[in-house]
Amino acid sequence: MKRVWIGGLTAAVLASALWYWAGRDRPAGSLAPVGADSASTGVRAVRLYFGAANGDSLVGEPREMLEAPSLHDRVVGLVAELDRGPRRRGVAVLPAGTSVLHVYLDDRGLMTLDLSGAFRRGFRGGSTAEYLAVASLVRSLGANLPEVKRVLIVCAGWPIATLGGHLPLDQPLDVSDWP
Amino acid sequence: MNEEDCKGGRSRDVPETPRLRIPRAVGLALVALLGLGADWRTPPPGEGPETAPVRRLDGTPYLGVNDLARLMDATKFWRADVRKLVLRSGAHSVALTADNPFVIVDDLTVWLPAPVRSMGGELQVPVALVDTLPSDSALARLIFDPRRDQVVVLPASGGVGSPRLSTTRERTRVSFPADRPEEAVVVARSRAHFRLRFGGIFLGVLPDSLPAAGLLRSIRPIAAAGGCAFEYAIDPAAAGFRLIQDVAGRGVVLELSRLPGEDLEDFAPEGPAGPRSIRVVVLDPGHGGSDAGVVVGGVAEKNLALALAQRLRPELERRLAARVVLTRGDDREVSAEKRAEVANRVRADLVLALHFDGFAESRAHGATAYCPPATFAEAGSSEGSAFGGDGERASREARGGFVGPGRLAVLPWRDVGSRYAVQSRALAEAVLSTLELRGQGPTRLRERLPYDLLGVNAPGILLECATLTAGEDRERVTQAEGLRQLAVAIADGVAAYRRNE
Repeated sequence: MKRVWIGGLTAAVLASALWYWAGRDRPAGSLAPVGADSASTGVRAVRLYFGAANGDSLVGEPREMLEAPSLHDRVVGLVAELDRGPRRRGVAVLPAGTSVLHVYLDDRGLMTLDLSGAFRRGFRGGSTAEYLAVASLVRSLGANLPEVKRVLIVCAGWPIATLGGHLPLDQPLDVSDWP
Repeated sequence: MNEEDCKGGRSRDVPETPRLRIPRAVGLALVALLGLGADWRTPPPGEGPETAPVRRLDGTPYLGVNDLARLMDATKFWRADVRKLVLRSGAHSVALTADNPFVIVDDLTVWLPAPVRSMGGELQVPVALVDTLPSDSALARLIFDPRRDQVVVLPASGGVGSPRLSTTRERTRVSFPADRPEEAVVVARSRAHFRLRFGGIFLGVLPDSLPAAGLLRSIRPIAAAGGCAFEYAIDPAAAGFRLIQDVAGRGVVLELSRLPGEDLEDFAPEGPAGPRSIRVVVLDPGHGGSDAGVVVGGVAEKNLALALAQRLRPELERRLAARVVLTRGDDREVSAEKRAEVANRVRADLVLALHFDGFAESRAHGATAYCPPATFAEAGSSEGSAFGGDGERASREARGGFVGPGRLAVLPWRDVGSRYAVQSRALAEAVLSTLELRGQGPTRLRERLPYDLLGVNAPGILLECATLTAGEDRERVTQAEGLRQLAVAIADGVAAYRRNE
């Protein structure tokens, strides 16, 4: 009887471990194949912008994400995808580990985007890296959230004057200003 | 999380970019060829409208459903048990079933010429579906282009057609048909680089040639984040312009006039013609103190910028016979406010903020200049058309400016540098041209008011003199001779700016 209990317990532990492993590497928000049943949760195409390898401009990359129920969740998902970096050409330009703490959107399309401290701490580089980091963020939000017209970036609840000392971030940035 | 935590470390160690090993002569030849082909004065062309390829199955054009969802900006819901896919975009929905020609669009059942098919794990839908989608402002309009075998999405802002030009003795008019004329905005108002942006995408063609007697020298499409934008070169004889947004007639007219008038807006101030007077130059070595800037392979940007400023000072004094002032002469932290205060107190005639760039994991190299955008004119005209209509007024006010009644535009002090946008761009072009000619490119120019020039009441640029993450650039500027050559090139560029030829 004791052996049966031990065997059952071991099987349960193994099954839990397997279930955990199977679920662990599945990236949140990644594409569910069309063949999979997604009747309750939809899949949506987004367009993300990363830095061009020569530093001259942004490069767009279409991607699919699970549909998010709220604006906050959509922004969290977009920033998480930017943080993961490009799958095709281009260079990840958002400082590593950047995540969204809070999002506020007013009725005139001004989004106040509160990013984690990693946005500031994780920044490496000069003005090109800084320009592309901000451009990638603002352009990706503008392209996927038509209700967003301008973005004010704050960091861990505090206003920031600049990210790396080259571009002012003290005022909202127009999403159409970042070609 | 406190404020200090948010500020984080000030020095930024940047991993070195892997260096490409190619023979020096071959490398120089390649750089020269690339330099010839590159137009550093313009941003790279932006992306066009969203498109999706069409494939033909048994002669019928089909579109992949993933592409269809992307173009419609729709969310996909898949029912595996009945092999049914629902696309939802706003209040609209499209229900497709594999191997079935019947599609439900909102409440209507549409019979397609061929069934929806499944290929490679993705449904393929006959392109004829795009003509049956509802046409309202909530849903993107899709157009099948059989010549290119692709489906193009027309955004909510619609399209912009081919411009028509008309010229009289006094006036030149450029008329664009546009679905949303109210979205047209003048984003730069210098004569040499006048820019007009539309919300819609450009579906027309630009004229091959322009009338010699007109006030328009050239027109070309430029990169835009959504919609489209054009850059005009306007004849110096033009006294002013007027943007007419004809919402009822669905058109936008840019009118240029040789004669000044109350109904005209001004171009950005250009300063006097002929050689420029430069009595005081402010050199602003970037970063300093605990803020080391870019750090690569033991080379710190703050030290290099200071060393360059110290070498550049005698070169400028010799060429310009001007007083040269440094915002810092040693390794200490100087706030942006303090830097601006130094420049304004000595009444600088130009300001050069000296930096070195860094962009890890990339192939970036060369120099970049930042100058203020030409958004400001000394005097706007009265209400209504003062700044290109309500759209631009809102945009200007959103940026912190105030558009008052009468011929007055108030500019926030932080943006005072935009009064000198035309001169600053000329300075940037002169310096970048010299760097390019001396083999220190490639160079790029960005019209964006840099942090170091906030509140600086003088023409100025932020110059990233080289890219430290690029091995060759770093090797060059960390040698005494390389730094001297860089200083000589910048000083020659400033001298060319002063000549204003």
